[in-house]
This record gives sequence, C-alpha cells and structure tokens, in this order.
Amino acid sequence: MSVNPQTIADTMVCAMARLLQDGERVFHGVASHMPMVAMALAKRLHAPNLVQLNIPGGVNPPSIAKANVSSAGGDLLAGAESYFPLMDIFDLSMRGGLDVAFLGGVQFDVHGNVNASVIGDYRKPKVRMPGGAGSAVLIPTAKKAIIWRTKHDRRTFVEQVDFVTTRGNVWKIVTPLCVFEYRQGRLWLDSVHPHSFLDEVRENTGFELQYDEIRTTPAPTARELAALRQVDPRNWRLKEVGR
Amino acid sequence: MQTANKGKLVSLAEAAALVRDGDRVALGGNVLHRAPMAFVRELARQGKKGLKLVKTAGAHDIDLLCAAGCVAEVDAGFVSYETEFGLAAHYRKAVEAGAVKANEHACYTVIGALRAAATGAPFMPVVGLKTGDLIKENDYFTIIPDPFGGVHVPVVKAIVPDVAVIHVQEADAAGNAVIHGPKYEDVLMSRAAKSVIVTAERIVSAQAFRQRPEQVDIPGFLVAAVVHAPRGAAPCACDRAYEADTRALERFKKLDADQIGDYLAEYEKSDRSAKTFGGWNR
Repeated sequence: MSVNPQTIADTMVCAMARLLQDGERVFHGVASHMPMVAMALAKRLHAPNLVQLNIPGGVNPPSIAKANVSSAGGDLLAGAESYFPLMDIFDLSMRGGLDVAFLGGVQFDVHGNVNASVIGDYRKPKVRMPGGAGSAVLIPTAKKAIIWRTKHDRRTFVEQVDFVTTRGNVWKIVTPLCVFEYRQGRLWLDSVHPHSFLDEVRENTGFELQYDEIRTTPAPTARELAALRQVDPRNWRLKEVGR
Repeated sequence: MQTANKGKLVSLAEAAALVRDGDRVALGGNVLHRAPMAFVRELARQGKKGLKLVKTAGAHDIDLLCAAGCVAEVDAGFVSYETEFGLAAHYRKAVEAGAVKANEHACYTVIGALRAAATGAPFMPVVGLKTGDLIKENDYFTIIPDPFGGVHVPVVKAIVPDVAVIHVQEADAAGNAVIHGPKYEDVLMSRAAKSVIVTAERIVSAQAFRQRPEQVDIPGFLVAAVVHAPRGAAPCACDRAYEADTRALERFKKLDADQIGDYLAEYEKSDRSAKTFGGWNR
C-alpha cells in the first residue's frame, strides 16, 4: 500500500473519534495510542463531556502530549480530574456502567469472534500472541466495543479465528482500509476509506464482503485536522501505522 | 546484630535469596511502568528456576525472566511491550517451545484471583467472562450456578503468590511503602501474597510516614524485606523519577538468549551499589 501513513493514521483516528458521543464513558488500554488520540479529539470537537478513562487511572487527562512510549503511564494521571484506575474501570463495566471500550486483537472473523491469544493449539501454539488484556471481560460487558487494527490482510480478517479469546458487544472495527460493523451475527462492510477502494478491501479480506451500499468514510475535515494538531502535537497516532 | 534503624533493610542479593525455586511471584507495576527490574535481574543472576509469574500486564520483566530460563508458568492478561517495541520475543519463544506454560487471563481475572486470595476465598466471580475458549482451555475458570437462584456465574480460582515484589518511590526500614502516581494492582498484590518484598527509590526515616500514615500504601507489617534500589525500575519508567530508557529497551530487544548473561552482568554493579541511610550499605 503506497498511501501516506499519515493519511491512514488521520483517517482511522477521525473515524474512531466520530463514533464517540457526548457524555459517554470511554476506556482505552495499553499500547493504544490511536484510541487515546481519538478520545482526546472527540472531547475537543463534539463530545466535551466525554469521560476519558485509562489504565493509570487519570480521569480526563488534561493532555496526552507526554504519552510517548506508553498509553498507560503516570503522565495520563498528572493533572487529571480524579483517580479511577483499571480495577475500578473493570468493575464499572461489569455492572453495566462503561459505554465504550477500545480494544485490539490480532485475528477477527466474520462471526464477530476476536483472537488475541494463539495461532494453533492453545497449549502448544504455533504463535503465542500477547493475550487479550481486558478484552475477554470488556467486549462482553461494555455497551459498545470498538476494535482497531492497523493491519488489514487475509490472515487478520478470516472466516474463522484459530481461537476465540472473546466475542460479545463488538460494534465497529476500524482498519487502514475500511470500517466494519457487527450486526445480525456477522461483520458488514460499513464504509471504505477514501484512500482505498472496494476491490482492495475485498482482496485483503478472508471472508466474503457483505454490505448494503458502498459508502466512503468521510475524509478528515480541516477542522478535525486542526484539532488533531492541537491534541496530538507530537503525532503519537502515527506510531502504530509507522511500524 | 540488626540495629534498630536497619529494620528489614537487606541487600538486593539477600532479598532475592528469599525467593525459592518454584515460587509463585507477583510482580508490581504495569507493562513499562514501575516494574521491579533490579530485583528481576537479581533473580536471573541467582539462576532461579521454575518461577510462576503473576501480573495483569507485563513486558520487560516477564520477557527477561523467560530469556534467562527462570520461568515455568505465567499468569497474565497481556505480555508484550508497548507499540514501538513490539512483542515480548523471549516469552513468546519460550511458550512456543513448550518451556513456559502461558496461563492466559483477562487482566480482570488476575485481579479477581488476587482479590480471592486477599479475602481468603477459594475463588471470585468475574461476571464479564461469559464466553469464549479461555473458559474451555483453562482449569482456573469455570461457570457455577448462582446459589441464590440467579443466572450462572463465571468464577476464577484464587492465585496466592508466595511473594509479591513491588518497586516504590519511598519506603522506610520497617517496610512501610508509598507509591507515587498510578498504583496499578500493587496494593491488592501486597494483600494477596503470603509475603512482600519492597524495593524503593528512597529509604526515608521511620518518622516520615507518621505525619501522613493514611498515605502509606503497603504497611510494613506485611513486608518481609526492604531493599534500597535507586533506579530499581530502569529501564522501565518510575513515575516522578525517570522515564523509560527506550535505547536500553531497544538494545535488549535485539539480544539472543545467550547474550542475556552479559546483559545482566552490565547492570550488576549499579543494581547492587545502593547506599542505604544511616551509613549502612553492602
């Protein structure tokens, strides 16, 4: 793919930010620079009452500019409104009080299953992956789980995952090429990013695409890009795409 | 003879010697933050075997101990570095080779297992764990009937660490310890474990916490040993003290298992050089 990584990062982050509504309680975890930026962007633009939650426990951190190597460090607690750490966030989600959780994963199937665990046998894996972190309890309990993945190929989007780390309230999956939506028991192609096209999505997806109509993800607006430069001046959103 | 103000202060080597082969060891901090790295390196230098590690989300600590061949099992929700450092390659290789058993949790089920231990209960409900292969594949998860007639409840078996190792910014010689910034799961770990070892950036006087006892996160009576370990989390970050040393982490990531001995030796002098207050040092 010869598209500028910055275009991919900006498009993905804006797509993720637009999914958030004012007043929602939203969580991002570790190794989650893109959701961290998307949450800050949404709060700056259309969701001023968003409640940003993170592992170190900083509720509505005043800045994400110092979250360089990590999206789970003490810089997100410094100057925050209050302390509400991971344990409390999990408990909140268990009792139905978390609106949105951003989660990753490595392999996803058409049925909405998420694999972040292994390729091959669980006890003698061909590939041991990092593990689902909070996914196995947050995807079933958060009202909406939004997944992002910076890789979109036939090994990532498959007919059937090797291992079901979890499934549940997956709502959207944002990739470098498109947005999928989960409804009626399967993934639907929701929109194709403006820098991609339908055939590219089809070639890189391991299951048959299903869609109502071909929509294009709106390109980042000038207003969104200006706000992005303010909330993410050091361009942390590029980290995941740059690899 | 132990002097009054030496208290539970011991050298890093003496504290690590308290950990026996096969022990279940809970490690404080989270991913690249406040991991007890000086202690972890000392465990590796002492050639511990068969350790069963416990952590919600680990990175360099678990990866290093796997590289050094110290580990039998890992109970964790996530084992990987953050974005730009990629996967924990030594952990991954050890699991794929069958040398280390990966007991995958949701991070919250580690918390539940530690809560069970802290309350003396055999298991703890984790209502979110409703579906998927983790329940099928792991004997520490099951689903039980609600004894009060409601819907079935997923539960996780207690994890009782033999020792929790927690790096903090401040401790006194009696083991009273204060964590600055995010506490992650460390306070819970200190209650769940049979024994606690504290490593600290600074050793403060016994009077220091009397002015603010409510801020003490870990009371000294739970603590078996205290080690003065300046930069004891490096190359991971320690809140309000130092950032992650990204160059050191990048360098480690490129090492093969047979280069780990040299890596540990490089840190040995600085790891063991701490001078404790009152002129006592090793």
